[in-house]
Amino acid sequence: MFDQLPHTFRKHKLSADVRTLLQFRNAMNKGLVRTLGDAYYVLKGLVTSAPTEIGPFSQAFYEHFLGIDIRKGEPLEDAVTRSNAFRGWKENFSEEELAEIPSMELVDKFLDEVHLTTFDIQRVLDGKDILKKDNPEMKDNDPNGGEGTPTDRPLDRMADYRDVPLEELLRRMREVAKQQKGKHSGGDHWIGTGGVSPYGHGGAAAGGVRVGGTGGGKMARAAVNSRDFYPVDTKALLKDDNIDAALAALKGIEEGTAEIILDIPITIKEGLKQGGIFLPHEKEKVQQKTQVILMIDNGGWSMSPYVTTVQKLFKKMKTRFSHDLKTYYFHNSIYGGLYTDAARWKFEPIEKIIRQDKNYSVFVIGDADMAPYELSNASQESWTELSKHFKRMAWLNPMRESIWHTSMTCSVLMRMFPMFGLTPDGIEQAILEMNRRRKFGK
Amino acid sequence: MAITKMWTGSDKYICDKELAQAFHMARVIGMPLLIEGEPGTGKTELPLQFAEDLGAKLFVYPVGSKSNVEQFVAKFDHVKYLRDSQVEILNAQREEKGLENRLSTGGRNTENLQDYVLKGPAAEAFSTPNSVLLIDEIDKAPREFPNDLLYALSHRKFVMPESGEMIEVSEENMPAIVITSNREQELPTAFKGRCVYHYISFPTPETMHEIVQKHFPELNESLEQKCISMFYQMRSLGLDRAPATRELLSWIKYLKSFEEAEALTRVNKVEGLGVLIKNQNDMEKVKARIFGKSS
Repeated sequence: MFDQLPHTFRKHKLSADVRTLLQFRNAMNKGLVRTLGDAYYVLKGLVTSAPTEIGPFSQAFYEHFLGIDIRKGEPLEDAVTRSNAFRGWKENFSEEELAEIPSMELVDKFLDEVHLTTFDIQRVLDGKDILKKDNPEMKDNDPNGGEGTPTDRPLDRMADYRDVPLEELLRRMREVAKQQKGKHSGGDHWIGTGGVSPYGHGGAAAGGVRVGGTGGGKMARAAVNSRDFYPVDTKALLKDDNIDAALAALKGIEEGTAEIILDIPITIKEGLKQGGIFLPHEKEKVQQKTQVILMIDNGGWSMSPYVTTVQKLFKKMKTRFSHDLKTYYFHNSIYGGLYTDAARWKFEPIEKIIRQDKNYSVFVIGDADMAPYELSNASQESWTELSKHFKRMAWLNPMRESIWHTSMTCSVLMRMFPMFGLTPDGIEQAILEMNRRRKFGK
Repeated sequence: MAITKMWTGSDKYICDKELAQAFHMARVIGMPLLIEGEPGTGKTELPLQFAEDLGAKLFVYPVGSKSNVEQFVAKFDHVKYLRDSQVEILNAQREEKGLENRLSTGGRNTENLQDYVLKGPAAEAFSTPNSVLLIDEIDKAPREFPNDLLYALSHRKFVMPESGEMIEVSEENMPAIVITSNREQELPTAFKGRCVYHYISFPTPETMHEIVQKHFPELNESLEQKCISMFYQMRSLGLDRAPATRELLSWIKYLKSFEEAEALTRVNKVEGLGVLIKNQNDMEKVKARIFGKSS
């Protein structure tokens, strides 16, 4: 049943692969996974890598291990109530008991059991010395065993599961999965025969013992139901590795200083060879800095179809060059300066912009398509000033390349800047072009 | 043996259940624990208190924008190497001239390159079984830094510069590695894949009560209640920079220096808020909404 695990996670847009499985397997061999709750923790640690992934992760987990399928926008409670796993589990209770417990509380109990971990069990055991005593029944995992006696505290059987060998645990988990896939069969109850939960049949829920201060149910609900634990927009998840690769290439244009420094290791090595006569050896200083300026055309309807693409690139840039990224905005063309805010209120004159380090890599993003009068002489001059100062400047155009030449203004700007499509390919080419300029610029 | 028993906090530190489990798991399977969460929620405190509580040796590497693997692992001290080689020549000349006094190389031998390797916190931790290694605020590092650590993290070994000495540690002796991040920049996927990830969620008022109790056991109950409730009220206002545990503790520390009655009036008179609110906009918001004053 674990073969499909990475697949389930990937379906929820999480990154999981064979290594995840190997790591999980390793954790199992080390005895970290003894209950379903443990599995949740271990996998969470291995699979998630941002708070916004905890929501999708929990969904995937419920789907895979419990067959609980959460529909879009549905609260966890509803999905749980719908599931076979929950219905089966409910049969542990008598009619009267069910009538007494509010349904929400029941869901909580269920979730608490699902999320019960070895840690919780240990905590309870530590608190209750009597229960540490060996119970011969413990070895016997017959799901129906020990059902009868009311004094049979569920806690006794908790400890039971801590000695179950890995293979056995796997076998049981597999059974649980099978059970959920097929029709829910008669009097079998999910946790009882599946036995992943150390509570066994009836469990502490029936015995009335609540484990730990913070129930797993509360935590799980928070994870699935709260917005904080989901990506803002799953559809636009930035998994476009092409862009990443292209931007990684941009690192290549960073080392552009002509500064010469003393190469101490070589000087000393050579000096020792010369019997103590030290001649200075020099080397070029390598700068580990990449500075990027982004100029975005964010005005007018002509750019609106490309907003998502631009945002995607912008986010990528932001994560990659967090310390050295500057963003300017303009509408169609520029007239003596650019704006530093997206609403285009704060104006910054060109003179100030070109006072910045000329080693900045500048990307202009815009369709370069406007009314001819907008690209006036004054405006062309502004562009020229920028291109003169910033040697590494490229234009990224979201329009199809085949129609660029049909726009008059676009053709003019193409003569001033190297222009590329706003696609991973285009970005890569733009960066290659920038790298080339660096070489010639030296 | 690495310390693999469950650790749930000490008398100074409350380690919530989830964090305790994530940390335990990381130690058992010998992977570093990557903790993210709001500033001031005790990310850095975890390894510090863990090491102190168990008496383990602690190595800390605070990350900055100039951090590189050389500082973190080890670097070769060329200058010392040069000095010592010069000293050797000098000593040989003195011997020729029959002079008695020699210059010392401090026990180092130029034949032995290992003497000139300055070990960074990583190399030290890897050669000390049972130790704890903290890499603080890795998100401040240049992009290459986490990538350069990949090999060491998955193979558990470092190669020392020049001397070629290999520092290797078995999975059992692997130090407990804790890495903290404030998410100022996204870490590379490959790096995250080699860590156990845990996001510290903000403590509930009940947990906060316990935390405050640990720090100020003799604190007056009503004052504490008042502080905590006001604190959570402030957090619910949607401030730009919501106060976190660290701020609350400093605030209480300030209030504690007064007599009980005076402390309470001070709370009501909005004094010492600068400890909690660190932004003018936020301050105005708090004053208007909680204290019903407009400044």
